[in-house]
Amino acid sequence: MLETNKPCTATDSDPTLATANNVDISSCDREQVHLVGAIQPHGALLVLQEPSLRIVQASINSADFLGIPCEQLVGQCLDYLLGDENTAAISAQLLAKKLTGTFTHLLSLPCLAHRDGAVHITGNRIDSLLLLEFERSRYAAELHPAHAYCGKLQDIIQQLHGHAGLLNFLAVAVEQLRDLTGFERVMAYRFDRDGSGEVIAEAKDTALEAYLGLHYPASDVPEPARRLFALSPLRHLPDVDYVPVLLYPALSPLADGRPVDLSHSFLRSVSEMYTGYLRNMGVKATLVMPLMKCGKLWGLISCMHHSAPKYLHYEQRFPIELFSRMVSLRIGDLDNLDHCAYRTRLDQAHGQLISQIGRAETHRQALFGNTINLLNGFDADGAALLEEGQVTLLGLTPTVQQVELLMQWLTQQPADVLATHRLSHDCPAAVEFSVVASGLLAVRVSRTSLTWVMWFRPEVVSERHWAGDPNKPVIINDEGQACRLQPRASFALWKETVRGHSRPWLDCEIDHASRLRQSLQDILVERACQLKELNTELEHSNQALSSFVYAASHDLKEPLRGIHNYVELLRLEEGGQLSGQGQQRIDTILRLTDRMHDFLVGLLEYSHISHTPQDLFNCPINSLVEEVVEMLKQANPNDSITVDIQPAMPTILCNPTNVKVIFQNLIINAIKYNRAAVKTIKIGCHATNGNPVFFVQDNGIGIPPEFHEYIFQPFKRLHGNKEFGGGSSIGLAITQKAVTQQGGHIWIESEQDKGSTFSFTLAPEQADERV
Amino acid sequence: MKKMRSLMIVEDSDEDFEVICWALQKSGFTHPVIRSARAEEALMHLITELSQAERLNPYPCLVLLDLNLPGMNGLQLLEALGQRQPPLPVPIVVMSTSNNPVDIVASYRLGAAGYILKPFKLELYLEKIRELTHYWFNTVTLPIGEDGEN
Repeated sequence: MLETNKPCTATDSDPTLATANNVDISSCDREQVHLVGAIQPHGALLVLQEPSLRIVQASINSADFLGIPCEQLVGQCLDYLLGDENTAAISAQLLAKKLTGTFTHLLSLPCLAHRDGAVHITGNRIDSLLLLEFERSRYAAELHPAHAYCGKLQDIIQQLHGHAGLLNFLAVAVEQLRDLTGFERVMAYRFDRDGSGEVIAEAKDTALEAYLGLHYPASDVPEPARRLFALSPLRHLPDVDYVPVLLYPALSPLADGRPVDLSHSFLRSVSEMYTGYLRNMGVKATLVMPLMKCGKLWGLISCMHHSAPKYLHYEQRFPIELFSRMVSLRIGDLDNLDHCAYRTRLDQAHGQLISQIGRAETHRQALFGNTINLLNGFDADGAALLEEGQVTLLGLTPTVQQVELLMQWLTQQPADVLATHRLSHDCPAAVEFSVVASGLLAVRVSRTSLTWVMWFRPEVVSERHWAGDPNKPVIINDEGQACRLQPRASFALWKETVRGHSRPWLDCEIDHASRLRQSLQDILVERACQLKELNTELEHSNQALSSFVYAASHDLKEPLRGIHNYVELLRLEEGGQLSGQGQQRIDTILRLTDRMHDFLVGLLEYSHISHTPQDLFNCPINSLVEEVVEMLKQANPNDSITVDIQPAMPTILCNPTNVKVIFQNLIINAIKYNRAAVKTIKIGCHATNGNPVFFVQDNGIGIPPEFHEYIFQPFKRLHGNKEFGGGSSIGLAITQKAVTQQGGHIWIESEQDKGSTFSFTLAPEQADERV
Repeated sequence: MKKMRSLMIVEDSDEDFEVICWALQKSGFTHPVIRSARAEEALMHLITELSQAERLNPYPCLVLLDLNLPGMNGLQLLEALGQRQPPLPVPIVVMSTSNNPVDIVASYRLGAAGYILKPFKLELYLEKIRELTHYWFNTVTLPIGEDGEN
């Protein structure tokens, strides 16, 4: 059963030994103990089809146990074994009870037709098959009322009253249970998060060696065993040396040939690994009950008998099962009660933090206040906040660099809430700061902004007592390609100095962290909504402003034109009567109104760009540029201008009005700010990463680098308003706006007296090609 | 007595009206000019069915229309006149400060015979008015004839 097909890795020094780190314990997990097709000999099993109740499989001990050989039973209906009346009673029970999960008691009979002695019949359904288990009553000829045991149970419950604290409670519980069951050793065993466990309460015969306080590695109760323990309220192995009873016929009754699943079967045959392990421990019989907390396996109550096999009848097991369920129920309460005061403190701290978060501008302010912060009321020595690459620390913590290192590891973790009390084990890089941070409790607040909140606990060096060397939980016999796992034989005390561990995080602490995470996220969502609203408002007010600028500049043009016209009329009609100074003043008024008119026209054009519908067309850039150049040459007939247009520029999907505005303004600039005898302008395009970059280059006066960041601002002049023909100083702002409307960007390369090159793109880029 | 063909100017701004008159005078324009400062007033004048003899002011053979007017604006006037059946026998030329394509397109759609941007420079003003009057009064034959009757 234990052979695996996968060769196990072994250490270099000793090829026959595997350690907890390198052995593939899951090979044991692959042993499908629930599909063994055999049972223990203290009962009989029948597999039936419904609704015919025809028997399709029977354990081979039927002759002995039920009085009819299995070969004879298979193919018959249940009434062949039980008679009409009893079969009808079973059928009625099957109708009344919902048979899933654990085995349910269906019927007890004082005797069977072909066999003396009272029996209990329990049943379960799996894979559309009905499984019936038969167990003898403790009393040969009559059924003993279970309430005789319940009276005893009542005494025990009485005893348990008034024992405060979880460990006290369990100590009394195991003592009482030893009394009730007669087992020589009863232990309460608690699982750690890593699957290893510790004996936390024990009642035993004085002659036996104590296991209290001992730790057992996770491989001692492997995952499939833990799963099965969680499934049934009670597992009983009366004799480790039992001979398994096979099912007849061996061929599965299921259509797909899978063996019948005995997960919930009380009689199910157990793993050889388990019996071997028990034999090595000197155990002859066991009774194991799960301790559940919040639906999860928290621990086990394990009863062991060392001197001889020990079988508990159904009547004896019944109150024990009830008792263990009651203990399970109490564990959650007691565990919570133990931390009741602490929980209250954490609740207060949470409330304070939340109200501070509501008031503060940033997470940093909210979580790291002088009086209210992440460490208030919380049993941790340090805390950290990581937000958009910024680290904030409080108390005893790793350094900023170390927290950043930790962050890299955290981002790879799938969980949003992470608690470890042995950080360097989980994240090897953390070994360098394990003294201050062996315990880490971290919550991810946002995946997008990589926000984490963390708490740290320092290392606590302690001594742990193991039942045997935990590094050698199994022995592997190398047999060529295959290898055989064997249960370990040594349980001698093995002392380990535990390093890199902190005090473990309590459930209520993890809960506190999770709640804080939730609150921070809620606030993030709320702020995102507020931001969205503000953005919409801003957009509206931008639009309103733009409309206002448009309307205002348009309306201002009219009176301005009036002033201009009147002054011109004055000059024309009555200019001769004015003094020379008067005429000069008239000229100044006209020049100023001209300038103001230029401003207004520029403003109109600037705001007009936002109002232009952004319809896109496939435009050959060459013809657009040629059109603009032609127009500008006509407007500047006195200048000597050479324009060199690169042939075969691409055809681009763009808004032609915008693109004309861009080229027009850049070429006007190139002509205007140019003192060269022959003004030379080069217009072309080069592709970077497939995104064309257009340029307009001139031999003009250039712009010193310190002004490059200002030139695209509206009304920003670098020269006096009478130099270079004045102007509205809004041309480059309009250009930039038009470029932005296209999704592109614009930049300048220029030095004083060496000309300028304006480059721009007309589409959002895949890669930034700015120099 | 034969009545002269006349020009109607719908313009609320006294200053603009004065500049236009100055330009008309400089262009040697001698026809009568009727001014209406409001679109409503102009509308009444243009749609009232009276013979020329009954009119205080003659029925114009060309209208120069400003768009930006108090109350009913120029575009609304164009719209109101455009809905008349049969169509009015008078061409309307818009003269506005607005170079907004929306205004220009709307004016033509509503039946304007022309669109002139009011120039900023007096010199250009003169040019435009001269060109306009020359075209409408000397080049084309207008529906309202020399005697003012159609």
